Formats: sequence, structure tokens, C-alpha cells
Amino acid sequence: MKNFTYHRPATVAAALPLLDAEWGKTELLAGGTDLLDRQKEYVSQPDKVVSLTGIGGAFKQIAAAGDAVTIGAGVKLADIAESKELAAFPALTGAAGEIAGPQIRNMGTLGGSLCQRNRCWYFRDEHVPCLLKGGKKCFALDGENEYHAVFTQGHPCVIVHPSTLAPPLIALGATAEVVGPKGTRTVPLEKLFQAPAKETQREHTLAPNEVLVAVKIPAKEPPRNASYEVKQRETSEWPLVQAAVAFRPFVKVARDVRVVLGHVAPTPLVSEAAAKALEGKEVTDATATAAGEAAAAGAKPLSGNGYKVALVKTVVKRAALLAAGARPYWEG
Amino acid sequence: MAEGWPKKRRLLGTKVKRLDGPDKATGRAKYSYDVNRPGMLHGVMLRCPHAHAKIKSIDTAAARKTPGFKALVLVLPAKDWIVVKAGGDALELRSVPNKKKKEKEEQRTVKVTPGVTILRKNKVVAVADLKPDDVVQVEVPDDAVGRELFFAGDEVAAVAADTEEHAEDALRAIKVEYEVLDHLVVEEEVIKNPKKKTTPGALEGNYDTTIKDATKGDVEAGFKEAEATVEGTYGVPVISHQCLETHGLVAEWDADGGLTVWASTQATVATAAALAGRFGLPPAKVKCVTHYMGGGFGSKFGPDVQGFAAADLARRAGAPVKIMLDREEEIIAAGNRPSATGTVKIGGKKDGTITAFAVDCYGSPGYTGGATINLNLMPYVYGDAVANMARSHKVVYTNAGVARAMRAPGHPQNCVLTEFAVDDLAAKLGIDPLVIRRKNLPPNNPKADKVSWAGRRHDIYTEQLDLAVKLSGWNEKWHPPGKGKPGAVRHGIGMALHTWGGFASGSTTPNECSVFISKDGTPTAETSTQDLGTAQRTVTAIVVAEVLGLMPTDVLVKLGESVYGFSSGSGGSTTCPSQAPAALLAAQAARDDLFKKVAPKVGADPKDLAVEAGKVVDAKNKKEWGWKEFCGRLGMDEAKGRGEWSLAISNEPENANISSGQVGGVQTAEVLVDSETGVVRVTHMVAVQDCGLVVNKLACESQVAGGVIMGLNYALFEENIFDKHTGRQVNPDMEFYKLGGLRDMPKITVHMQDMPERGVIGIGEPPTISTAAAIGNAVFNALGVRVPFLPLSPRRVLDALAKGGK
Repeated sequence: MKNFTYHRPATVAAALPLLDAEWGKTELLAGGTDLLDRQKEYVSQPDKVVSLTGIGGAFKQIAAAGDAVTIGAGVKLADIAESKELAAFPALTGAAGEIAGPQIRNMGTLGGSLCQRNRCWYFRDEHVPCLLKGGKKCFALDGENEYHAVFTQGHPCVIVHPSTLAPPLIALGATAEVVGPKGTRTVPLEKLFQAPAKETQREHTLAPNEVLVAVKIPAKEPPRNASYEVKQRETSEWPLVQAAVAFRPFVKVARDVRVVLGHVAPTPLVSEAAAKALEGKEVTDATATAAGEAAAAGAKPLSGNGYKVALVKTVVKRAALLAAGARPYWEG
Repeated sequence: MAEGWPKKRRLLGTKVKRLDGPDKATGRAKYSYDVNRPGMLHGVMLRCPHAHAKIKSIDTAAARKTPGFKALVLVLPAKDWIVVKAGGDALELRSVPNKKKKEKEEQRTVKVTPGVTILRKNKVVAVADLKPDDVVQVEVPDDAVGRELFFAGDEVAAVAADTEEHAEDALRAIKVEYEVLDHLVVEEEVIKNPKKKTTPGALEGNYDTTIKDATKGDVEAGFKEAEATVEGTYGVPVISHQCLETHGLVAEWDADGGLTVWASTQATVATAAALAGRFGLPPAKVKCVTHYMGGGFGSKFGPDVQGFAAADLARRAGAPVKIMLDREEEIIAAGNRPSATGTVKIGGKKDGTITAFAVDCYGSPGYTGGATINLNLMPYVYGDAVANMARSHKVVYTNAGVARAMRAPGHPQNCVLTEFAVDDLAAKLGIDPLVIRRKNLPPNNPKADKVSWAGRRHDIYTEQLDLAVKLSGWNEKWHPPGKGKPGAVRHGIGMALHTWGGFASGSTTPNECSVFISKDGTPTAETSTQDLGTAQRTVTAIVVAEVLGLMPTDVLVKLGESVYGFSSGSGGSTTCPSQAPAALLAAQAARDDLFKKVAPKVGADPKDLAVEAGKVVDAKNKKEWGWKEFCGRLGMDEAKGRGEWSLAISNEPENANISSGQVGGVQTAEVLVDSETGVVRVTHMVAVQDCGLVVNKLACESQVAGGVIMGLNYALFEENIFDKHTGRQVNPDMEFYKLGGLRDMPKITVHMQDMPERGVIGIGEPPTISTAAAIGNAVFNALGVRVPFLPLSPRRVLDALAKGGK
């Protein structure tokens, strides 16, 4: 990899002045499971790496206080998966426990999961000049795209957002705490993401000189919630498609329904249509199936990923049933 | 008459833990990848990023100035020249024509610029050092200009530096301008453009349709006779060997001009010989060491480009050089298993008789290679029973790395295409596919030896089928395709059969083993053969210990060094059937030598002596000695014996059934297929396998289980995927080139049939052949819809379900 200078500040405040106003020259390092790979593959060639591993305190803690649980951006995925403070959010803990394998979960962090770069095999190939590396076209559009987006919504780059924690967190109504030169700002989590189209954009909306420090989940009367994902393998695998569902039971029906899809679009995707299909209804096989159909309705698959549309229907149905506490019919 | 295998087996056929298990588990075992020599440099290969290109220019000046840079090699054909005149910056040379090849003498004049390297006797020299008639090799950068490169990954140059990082920096400082040429990486594109030429060779395009069709009987008549006929197109992709230890070696030259390499190879002797040839050394001056090996599967029979480059860099730098490929290089440039796509038409009767079989197929070996390594598609296993068949086969050349032998070359592809068709025929006939399998087994040859495969193959397969049916619960679990318990998750069971050779090596030079017994009673066995992870080290110890009345842990096995006599490459499952008999003969000869030397000292006649567990016995005179006590009488002497073995030796009548060949195998797969997600989980595999005389039951079972695991990955996960626009493989990694982990593995029931009367037969390849076919058939049984192409990914399963099998 290209040589770089290395900084390991002890506080977020000390980290901020080390950051650049532009993307590309400076990279933040958390667990390193993404950045090191990109550097070794010459996909990212920063001059400076600012490690956040020296930052302690709240940055590395899960804290339940009042009506919210706050998870520091530096908390490890393995700790989220096993957290007692997060026991009311199986959508989140379950998704965290399914990420990759134990080695990755023991290194990877919440902040890393949300801010990592996409896994598109064209983006990750040094020799392919794709849009996100300053090139003129997206190679996946008419190339090999079986793992790419089925909700492209006109975006010129058809990556899928790689975070498996983002859909459950959005479904749970989480907010992100972001610290930058102008102080702290709070962002609804779905607003943290964007579909990048060029080299100077990222998969998130952070400025190059900002740091994601925490994610806060409202914890007053937590909703019923679940995440369901389809993976080809049991071991060290990305989901093909994921859905997170949250709702509040009211008598027998579901209220405040949130359905968020993962790994189907350049951002985590809130499905209003699927939520509407369940809103005010009892969650049954039939309504869950209808929600799945609704979620898949706007899909525009590419040449090689039509199968992901069928998966959208399945994961929404199964996540809804799991959230409702139904016995998983698919487990025999 | 050869003494042969002991009639009473004390160790043979039992479960013996591998001797090097603890060393491997703890990391004490040093693989070639682990070898670090004093002063060692690190080498890396520069590869063409384009699928097809010509070198327009190459400039190495900047690379040579990078920190830590030590040497650079351009990948060019090696050629010796004779100095005619040398002076100033000019060198006049003439070639050494190969008279056998009717080559003419060439002359060339070289202007010795800073980029030119001259080597004499494997040392870098200056023009001033040269005198007429010196034999030299000359590297001229301009010679690389115009060189055509045929795949993204084709080797251009290599550099060595003091650290891996500096080597990478130096590599990136080499400036190469390419003329990018048209490429074809997708097989269907080649077939659509048959005259388009992007690969080397005399063929007009990339599509070779000149292979002669093969026929037997009357296919048309056979199809007329059929009560049902089905036609299907099935296929398997190109996959990679994915050796856990990548290809490569460490090369070190000594002061006497000798070369030692620590290589990850399946052939220590052949690797040493190839290096000796390349660098003009007598074979005795090259030593290849492979004490431990992290998998080859048919892809590691020689030094390869990177091995020659490492040795070349080492001679130029005057220091040891290590080049081990990284994972991407391993996948794109170190071999692969060719694809196969075939349209199979099969006809049969309700009683299970296959009346006709016709296959029209193609496959790709990469940018060169040919049909031999590719496929030989005919009705697999059932070929001898089926009266009418036809095959046409075509080869599709693509701008991809070249195929190499991979664990049972041709067989897994052949098995998938045949066995898929068999189950589809059974479904059409409305019968259990087991009926077809039983009906079309190869018949026993009444003229052959009753002990041999040929004489009893029908019986062996029948017994294997009986065992597989019992162990899998076939009769209780099989249901007509798609007619299992309804629900989102469907159960299925499938079966496939395979066959393989596994004879002793056909090499004209026999495999050797030597056994020495010292006065402390420790036997040492020496052989140049390599242990690829097959437990060959333990096999040798078991055989020697069996003959000498000892335990395997009592035997010191020295293997994996090319200087320990001849051994052939570990291919074709020939190692155990070559090496176990060689060890047997060596141990028996050493024992006899021991008797001869010690008998006079203990007042016995060597003829009356025999070995029993831990002792030497004179039954006639009712005397016995402890093993160590007896060996102690050797004094300053040692006992020794040598054994050698080959296919030709095994074919001598007096050696019958010390080793032989031909095995069969039956595997069943049970799966759960989630019809809403397309995810396939294999829950239980049964593998029934014969391999003649079982030397080590534990290692045999491990080989079979390993074969099943490899076959499961072939069925569900593996595929080299290329982008047709860039011509580059999109998944040269372990992220999207998928291999299952522990949680993806099923329960595996292995049943080894032990048939000591047939002698030793190889076991490496057969158990991986039928796994994928059995799994594919189980998925068909679950869904009632054929998923025709591997891997059986959610995408393929859901696409097949969406089409409803149409």
C-alpha cells in the first residue's frame, strides 16, 4: 500500500483538526476491516490515516439513559450482538450477530458498519475506472450485477449499501450524532445515507471533516422489531437481501410500522409501501405477504439480479412475522 | 513370488492418527510459505491488467531506483547464446541451434545499455568479463516489446526487494505501455463469434469445432427403442483450485552454483529437474524441498513462471528470494478446472435400461490448453452398459488463465452432465432413479481376474449401492421429484456414482523408498515423495512399522526432498499405490538385511527368523529377542533396504495385487431447499468408497470427507466470474468467490470398503467426483424442477423455479 502518516488522537476533539475538507487524502480508521483492504488493493490511497481506536469513554460504550440507548460509534459489532442494554432490539442485535464471522465482528465497529464503503466488485478493482473512482461509467449496469441494486431509482451507480446495521437502526427510529468543526449535529439515521455518483461522494452524508460519534435509539416502549436476511452461505457472507421491520402492537393490529430494506439499493431503503400495507392491520401470513409484495412493487432489476425481487418479498414477509412473534414457518 | 502384504495385519487398515498432526495444528510444521532464509529478499510479479494486449514499451529505470530494490527479471523465453565478440558496449552473439529441431544458427548484436542484463554461469557479468565462446543469457528490455499477453494476469516481469512493501513499490514503478486488443472472456460470446481470434495458436478463431465425434452402436435406433426420452442442457462453471497455501517457492543459490528451492509443489523431483533444465545445471545440483504442503489438487507440478522468476531474481541479486502468490494471483493465474456445458439427450425403458445417450458439449480451458485436459464426455460409469451413444465436443478458448489438472480431471463435469440426465429420465419414466443406476452398472468381465475391478465391478457397485441405500435411508426418504412434504422448505435426496483409476505411477523410472535400521532400532524411511496433506508421511510409517513389528511413531520418515531418490508427481491418485509398495519392499529388504547381519551374532539362521510385534523370533529354536536388543547387535553396521515400484512393476505377474487400480463410489446427498429464498442446505452426505487395501482407515475417511467438502463447494458456491467488458475476473478473492465454512457443512457419513486382496489403490481423486452431481439431483428431487447449472445459488434456484423447469 501507499505510505501514509498515522495519527491516533485520544479524543474526538483532537481528531477533528487532523481531518481534511476534501475526501481522499485522509481516512478514518476504526476496526480496519474495510480500510486496510482498500489500501492494500490500492482502491484508497490516503496520505494520512486518523485512527479512532485511541478514543475511549462513551465512544466505546453502550449506555441506557432515560428514554434512549446510546451506542458509541466505536462499539464492536460483537458487543452489539451480545448487549443486554439492547435486548429490546432483536432486529439490531440479531443483524449484528449475523455479520461476516467472529473475527470481523470482534474488530468491526458500529461506526465502521455505517460508514464503510460499498462492496461492488468493480469499485474494489483498482484497474476498473468506475464512477466512484473518477471514471465515466458504472460497469455494473451492463456487466456482472447479480449482487447489485434492484431499486436503482435512476442512480448512475448501482451499488448496494453494505451496512446490515443501518436497516434495523432506521426501522427503530435511531438518530446519528455527528461532530464536526461547527459542533455536534443530530441526524435521523436515514438521512445519514446517500447514493454516491462520483469520486467526491461517499455512501453517507458526513462531511470529510466530521466524525460519527454515536447512534441513539429511542427506548421508551420499544416497538416489536426483527430483521431477516437471506445469505447464500452460513459463514462469512454478505446478505443478498435484508429487511428490518418495527411496529407497535395496538390491540391486535400494527401501528407506526417501519419497513427498511437492506442490500437492494445504493442506500438503506425505507419502504413506505410495505409499511402502509401493514399499518393498522393484524400481522398475519396474508398481510405479511402483502407487505412483501408492496415492498417489491417498484423494483427495477438489472440483467442479472431479478431473483433479488423475489427475495425482497420473502424477507419483508419473514421479518414482519418474526417481529409479530410468529413461529418461523421456514425452520421446519 | 513377491512376499507381498502381510497376511496378518496389525496396523494396516486400522485408524492411525497422522504423525504430523500436532505439528500442523500447533504451527510447528514449516510449510514452504513459512520458510525465511537469512538475507532473503521478497519477489512479486508484474501482471498485465488487460485481458488481451501487446507490450508497446517497457521502462524499468525508475523501478531500479526505488528504495530496497535488488533485482528485476523480464518474463521472456530463456535462451543460451555463445559470445562471438565482446567489447565496449557491444556484444556479438550466435545461438546454439538445436539440431534435433533443425534450428539454424542465429546471430545477434546487442547494444549493452543500462537495462541489459548479461548472465554467465548464473552470475551477472559485465561485457568486460566476457571472452569469446562464453555461454551467456542476455536480457534485453526491447525483447519484451511486441510480446502478446492473453489474459488479465499474464506475467510481464518480476522484481525483488528487501521487503514485500518495497518490492510492491518497485513493481509499480515499472512503466509498461500496452496496446489493448480485443478480448473474449464469456464462452457464449465466443460461440456467437466463432471466427474472432483473441487467443494464440493456429486455429482460425477461438472456437475449436474440429474434434472428432465419438459414437458407439446405433443412437437413432436406441432412441426409437426408448419408452421415454428427455433432453436437457446442463453446465458447470470454471472454478479455481483455491489451494490454501498459494503457489510459490523460496530460491537460494549456494557458493558452488547449486540451487535449493523450498517449493509448494506436488512434484519435488520434477520441479528440481525443471529448474536444472532452465538454469543449465546438472540435476544433482538442484534440490527441491517440500516438507509440508498446503494443497495442490493438480495445479502444482512444476516451478511455474513465478518459480523460475524467483530463482532468476535470486541468481541476479546474489541472495535468496521468496515469491508466493497472493490470493488474487492464485485464482487468476495458477490453474483452474475447465467448465462444461452439454446438451444431453437420453432415452430409456421403464425397467431402467438406458437405450441411447447423446451429448453435445463444450467447455473452456482458458486461452490455450486443449481438449485433453478438458473433458471426455460420455455416459459416465454407465458407458460400458449403454449400447448406443454419441458425443460431439467443442473447445472454447477465452482470454482467461489456463486450466490445469484438478482433482479428477474431467470426471466431476462428466458426472454432473450424465447423472443429471439420468435423474431427469427417471422422472419422465416415473421411476426411482436407483432403478436406472442398478440396471446400467458396468458388467463384470468374466475373463478378468475375479479379485480385480474388471472381474467384479458390477458386484462392487451393487454392494456400494446397497450400503448407500442403507446408510442414507434412501428407501424411506426418496419421493418422486417435488412430491415431498409440502411447505416453503423442501426436502430432497439425490445420488450419483463415480469411478477412477488410482494405479501406481506409469512413470518409466520407478518410485523409490529406502529404509535404514540403526543399532538403536530406529528405522528411517527416505523418499522424495511429497505429502500434500494426504498423510503420505503416515502411510510410509505405517507400512514400515507393520513390516518391522513396530508402531508408526517409532519410524522416522524423511520425505519431500528431491535428493531422496526418484518419485513421480502426486497426480492421478498414484502416490499411495506407488509409494506404499516401495516402502513395503524397502522395509522387507531392510529386515532381511538385518537378519543376515545379526543372525550370525546370535547363533541363528536368517531363514528361521521372523518379526513379531516388538520382537524378533526364531520359532524353530524357540528363541526370541526384543527389537532393540536384536538391532543393538548391529554394532557399527546398519541394515538397509531399498524398494521401487511403478505401474510396470505392479503388472508383473509375481507382483499381482500389491497395488492395482480402478475404484467405484456411490454418494447420496440430502438437502433442504428453501423455495422462497433459493438457499440450498446440504444436511447429510453419504460416501461409500473402495480403494483396495486400506492402509490407514482414518486418513482414507478424511480424504473422502475432504473430497465431499470440495464437491459441496463446487455444487453450491464456486465460480470464476468474468466481466465481458473489462475482460477481468470480478471475484478473484474469497469474498465473492465463495467457499463454504464449517456451518455450511453437512453431516458426512463415510463408509470405506477394505479389500486387501486387491492391493493398494489411490484415493485422492475419486471421492470428490460425484458429490456435486448427487447434490444437484437432491435439489431436483426436492423441487421437481431441474436447476441445470452449478453453482446452485439462490439466483439459479429462484430463476429455475420462476421458469418452472422450462
